[in-house]
Amino acid sequence: MVRRILRGERKESEALAKYVYCVIPYSQEKMSFGNLGFDGGEVYTIDYRDMAPVVSDVTFRDYAVNEEEVEVHRKVNEAIMKDFSVIPVAYGMAFKSRKLLQIAMSAGYPAMQKALQVVDGTVELGIKVFLPKELEAMDPAKRDECSADFIQNLLAVSSDWKKLKLFSDRLILNAAFLVDKSSIDEFSENVGRLTEKYNELKVQYSGPWPAYNFVDIHILGGKRRGFR
Amino acid sequence: MFFLDDLLLRSLGISLPGLDLIWTIEQVQKFAYKGFYNPEKIKNQIKETRLLYEFGEIDRQEYMQKNSELMHKLELAEKMSEMNLSSKMDILG
Repeated sequence: MVRRILRGERKESEALAKYVYCVIPYSQEKMSFGNLGFDGGEVYTIDYRDMAPVVSDVTFRDYAVNEEEVEVHRKVNEAIMKDFSVIPVAYGMAFKSRKLLQIAMSAGYPAMQKALQVVDGTVELGIKVFLPKELEAMDPAKRDECSADFIQNLLAVSSDWKKLKLFSDRLILNAAFLVDKSSIDEFSENVGRLTEKYNELKVQYSGPWPAYNFVDIHILGGKRRGFR
Repeated sequence: MFFLDDLLLRSLGISLPGLDLIWTIEQVQKFAYKGFYNPEKIKNQIKETRLLYEFGEIDRQEYMQKNSELMHKLELAEKMSEMNLSSKMDILG
C-alpha cells in the first residue's frame, strides 16, 4: 500500500515540468534544499554526470518578468551559493520533462564544464553610480573620470569585469565584477572608500550574485521560456 | 480598378498633393509609434524607475504605479513588434 502511494507520488512528480534555478558541481544522490521554490515547491538536485541542475517541480507555463517571481529565483540561488559554486541559469527556464532537461544538460555539458572554471570560488558583485537630480548636468569628462576611478580601484581586487548598459541618462557607471570569495571584504572596503570620496553621488553596491554576466551558455537555441 | 502605390508614383516623379499629405501623416505616425512603443526604451524606463525607488527618490506607491504602467506599455510594445504593424502587406497579390 505504502509502496503504491510512493509510486503514485513519483509519477506525479515526473509528470510536472522542471524549473531550473542553476547548475552546481555535484555528483551524489538527490539533495534537497527545502521548500524554497515556486509555490513552495521542494528545490532539489537531479543528477547528471558530475553536474547537477537544481530544480523544483512546477506546472509548465510562461515566466513573465514579475518582481515576486524573480525574487524566488534569486533567493534560491542565494541559498545554494552559500555551499556551492553556481553556474547561473537565466530566470524563466522551465523544461517540460526531466528527459528534456537531461537532453539540454547533455548538449550544454562541455560549455558548463568550461563555465565552472570561471565561476568556481567566485561571485559577481554589482556597482551602479547614479547622479542625483541636482548633478544631472555633470560635465561628460568628469563623468568619465569618476567612472574610470571606480573601475580602476575595483578591478584591482577582481579577476574580471563587465561594463553593463547605461539605461538612464543619470547613470554614469553600471558594472559587474567577478570577485574571488576570499576578496569580497577587500572589494567592499574599496567600494566604501570610493563612496566616501564621491559622497555627492549615489552608489548602489549589490551582491554577491551568481556570475550571471560572466557565463553565457545557450542550449538548444537558447530559448528563454524553456521547451514545450 | 487600378491602384498606384504612392512609392510607385514617387519613383515615376509624380507627386499628388493628397497622397503626399497622407504619406507625411503616415511617416509622422510611424515615427511616433516607434518612439512611444520601443520595447528597449520601455525596458530602460522600468530599470530606471526601479533604481529611483531603491535610491529613495520615489516611494513604494509611486514605484508600483509607474512600474505597472510601464509593464503594460511593454506588453503592448512587444505585441506590436510581433504584429509588425508598420509594414504594409500587398493583399491583392
